[in-house]
Amino acid sequence: MDPEVHSLTGAYVCDALEPAERDAFEHHLARCATCAAEVAELRETTALLAAATAQAPPARLKTAVDARIAVTRQIPPVVAPVPARIAARPRRRWFTAAGWGLATGLAAVVAVLGVRVQDQQHQIDQSRQRDAGISTLLSAPDARTDSVAVRTGGTGMVLVSRSRDEAAITINGLSQPAPGRTYQLWMIGPSGIRSGGLLPTGTEASNSVLAHGLGDAQTIGLTVEPAGGSAQPTTTPVMLLPMPA
Amino acid sequence: MLGRTGSKAAAEESATLEAHLHRVALGDREAFDAVYEQLAGPVLGVALRVVRDPAQAEEVAQEVLVEIWRTASRFDPTRGSARAWALTMAHARAVDRVRSVDAAVRRESRAAALMAEMPFDQVAEAVEASLDRQRVRRCLEGLTELQRQSVTLAYYGGYTYSQVARLLDTPLGTVKTRLRDGLARLRDCLGVTG
Repeated sequence: MDPEVHSLTGAYVCDALEPAERDAFEHHLARCATCAAEVAELRETTALLAAATAQAPPARLKTAVDARIAVTRQIPPVVAPVPARIAARPRRRWFTAAGWGLATGLAAVVAVLGVRVQDQQHQIDQSRQRDAGISTLLSAPDARTDSVAVRTGGTGMVLVSRSRDEAAITINGLSQPAPGRTYQLWMIGPSGIRSGGLLPTGTEASNSVLAHGLGDAQTIGLTVEPAGGSAQPTTTPVMLLPMPA
Repeated sequence: MLGRTGSKAAAEESATLEAHLHRVALGDREAFDAVYEQLAGPVLGVALRVVRDPAQAEEVAQEVLVEIWRTASRFDPTRGSARAWALTMAHARAVDRVRSVDAAVRRESRAAALMAEMPFDQVAEAVEASLDRQRVRRCLEGLTELQRQSVTLAYYGGYTYSQVARLLDTPLGTVKTRLRDGLARLRDCLGVTG
């Protein structure tokens, strides 16, 4: 056990680690029962810090939550994984149960998009290329996923492989942009903000793009921009999706 | 005596919450109402404490409460209480929100840091002073200055420990250690059992 890593339990339960450090710690956590026990205890402790801040929620919160859960499908429980494969390929542990759920979701999206694309040959080719790209990404040994809610409704998911320097970004349930407006993705990192391209709009409830050349980007942003896109974001992001390191 | 009674009541409440959550996983809307009843206040509270902006905090709370419904089947009682599961999610979401680009500039300012450091400020406390609140306040007061500042800035302020180190002009390793031993002392003071 590396005492340096172990001592990060406090910072970890405070969500106070940088993404790369958090990932390294979680990797360690999966193999360190002592750390897991300590994290569990400290999480009960931070839960009390949270409980001490309780506020009476306004009635509109319940109304909004009820409206959303009425149309939100619950995810199924995790069924026991195949132990032999996990033992043989320890790196898979990086890919958590939740990650698998997301990956399955992405695969489903790929399938749906594959069926829905019709018309022009170039569209089909583009789509095939992208779907093939996503499938390759799914099988990358360092593939990791994360997801976050879009502020204006919907969910953003990312599947990233640093070794391939690629990410698949899928946005589900996004509302249509106002006329003359478009959704634009951004790659945000220490060296600045770069456009990640415009989100294809269509009738599909979900949109998927494959991004190459991630560089030092740590976060994927999504903003509403004038049609044609902007050089730099001009509005407050509706989504900030951290990209696993 | 009070502490014992309190933690016994808390344990019973927790067992009920876990039972409700199990039923939520089966799609039971009434059970969700009971879970909401117990968790909406703390979820909104921690979101507000970290995010500060009431409208954004409410959005975070909404996302988290929907997420509790959506992922109830993934709650694993062997890994901790339902409350810790939900509030861990709430805190993480709130932190995600504040580490956004538009907030970056504001959050670097020392003024914002000092605001975050006040653990019990003038935010309208519509909820009556609860037992939890009193115990936490008392236990935070029992920490050393550096432990209390580190825990408060990291947890309530939503800062990374590197940012905390910079704000407190203290070496990284020291902040890392104070976060850990500060929380361990809080754990003992609050009578948390694993």
